[in-house]
Amino acid sequence: MKKYLLLAVSLILVGAMLVGCASESTSVLDKIQEAKKVTVGTSADYPPYEYIDEAGNKAGFDIELMTEIAKRMGVELEWVDMPFDSLVAAVAGGKLDMAISCFNYDEERDKIVDFSEAYYTTEDAFVVTSAFTGTITVPEDVANYKVGVQSGTVQDGWLTDNLVTPGLLPEANLSRYERVDQAALDLANGRIEVLMGDYVPIQALVAQNPDLRVVYRGVLSTGPINIVLPDGDTKLKAEVDRIIKELQDEGFIDQLAVKYFSEQ
Amino acid sequence: MDFSQFLSYIASGTVYTVGVTLIALPAGLLIGTILALLYVYGGKVAARVMNLYSTVFRGIPPLVLLFILFFAVTRGVNLSAFWAGSLSLGMVSSAYQMEIVRGALLSVSGDQLMAARAVGLSRLQAIRYVVLPQAVRLAIPPWSNEAAIVIKDSSLVYALGVPEILRRAQLIGASSQRYLLAYLSAAIIYFLLVYATTRLLNHLEQKLSIPSNP
Repeated sequence: MKKYLLLAVSLILVGAMLVGCASESTSVLDKIQEAKKVTVGTSADYPPYEYIDEAGNKAGFDIELMTEIAKRMGVELEWVDMPFDSLVAAVAGGKLDMAISCFNYDEERDKIVDFSEAYYTTEDAFVVTSAFTGTITVPEDVANYKVGVQSGTVQDGWLTDNLVTPGLLPEANLSRYERVDQAALDLANGRIEVLMGDYVPIQALVAQNPDLRVVYRGVLSTGPINIVLPDGDTKLKAEVDRIIKELQDEGFIDQLAVKYFSEQ
Repeated sequence: MDFSQFLSYIASGTVYTVGVTLIALPAGLLIGTILALLYVYGGKVAARVMNLYSTVFRGIPPLVLLFILFFAVTRGVNLSAFWAGSLSLGMVSSAYQMEIVRGALLSVSGDQLMAARAVGLSRLQAIRYVVLPQAVRLAIPPWSNEAAIVIKDSSLVYALGVPEILRRAQLIGASSQRYLLAYLSAAIIYFLLVYATTRLLNHLEQKLSIPSNP
């Protein structure tokens, strides 16, 4: 009985894989154009890149950019909100046509998905509360404190590779959070001393919490941000890259940056 | 954003929470009851297979099963996040509900089955008219506990992008920076749902109870 059960399960799995492979041979772009609809994933809890506005609608730098990209592709845009950790798996699994959520290029991610050309460049920041009395002159100094970061982000990767693995920062002193705002709460509560994150959302946090201040700003882990695309789909990548280039040349992206990231 | 807007944004996720529960719970009950009948009356082989089913599904965290079903098994199959989530929760729940129904079936004394056979009922009739009516009454109290668990577990589908109560609380918390308020609102809505369900099932239990059987 068990043998037959095993056989049945393996047949289903093989069948599912075959179906999966068959659908990959055609470009997702064809599917998008045929359905006149592109399905895009985002994690709308990361202001000012992506968040929900007062009316409960999606808003932000990435949201407005993607809306324009869909318009230029001549298709309808369907948003799917998902936690950040699920987005790459959803694109790799064919559940989403693409994902835009302030994604930095990352070797591990590159194994299962592709990246568009960069549409913007970001920086990292360390933020502390007014209770913080330490000093951070070089980025590696954060190893002396309790650090928080959003799990699965490139900042998490930088801390892990440069501080935890060489033994500078004990694993127990690094707290990984599902979202950056949870980390900010723990920072305010004193469970962590330093929070590392992308400079732009960190700046948005600081603007809302007068008790917080940025002690370091620079390019460590981050840099260019890209749209996540299905693996090996060159046709779709060419189309998205072409539109990004067009929007950069027209100054559309610079205008968006001023609108959402206006720095004093 | 005023408080009523805030609450109504989170509360509009209730549709998904209730929807997931209304699929997962009955699906789990149907599968669980059939499997429990097979477990108890289906002979040795069936009992071993059911035991394996129960052990496997109770041994996997619902979230892991959710990810497997949504990202791995249904590659290329167009199963929506809502259905993938509801069905995985239904599968996990069916294993627990099978144990509930099995326990209830076993609580009805085996002598009754024998007595029913002695007065000329077939085996199927004896199960249908003698054992099941008693078992259903015994199963309601533990089952109302399972119903509450499924309502709360339905929040897991947020991981697949279903905008239910918890996910909406996260989103509005992030944009307004009022987390305590957001999560408190979610907690109140969950509590009301579970409270109403438990009350309803208590009522059912009383209604079905046999007066001469204190």
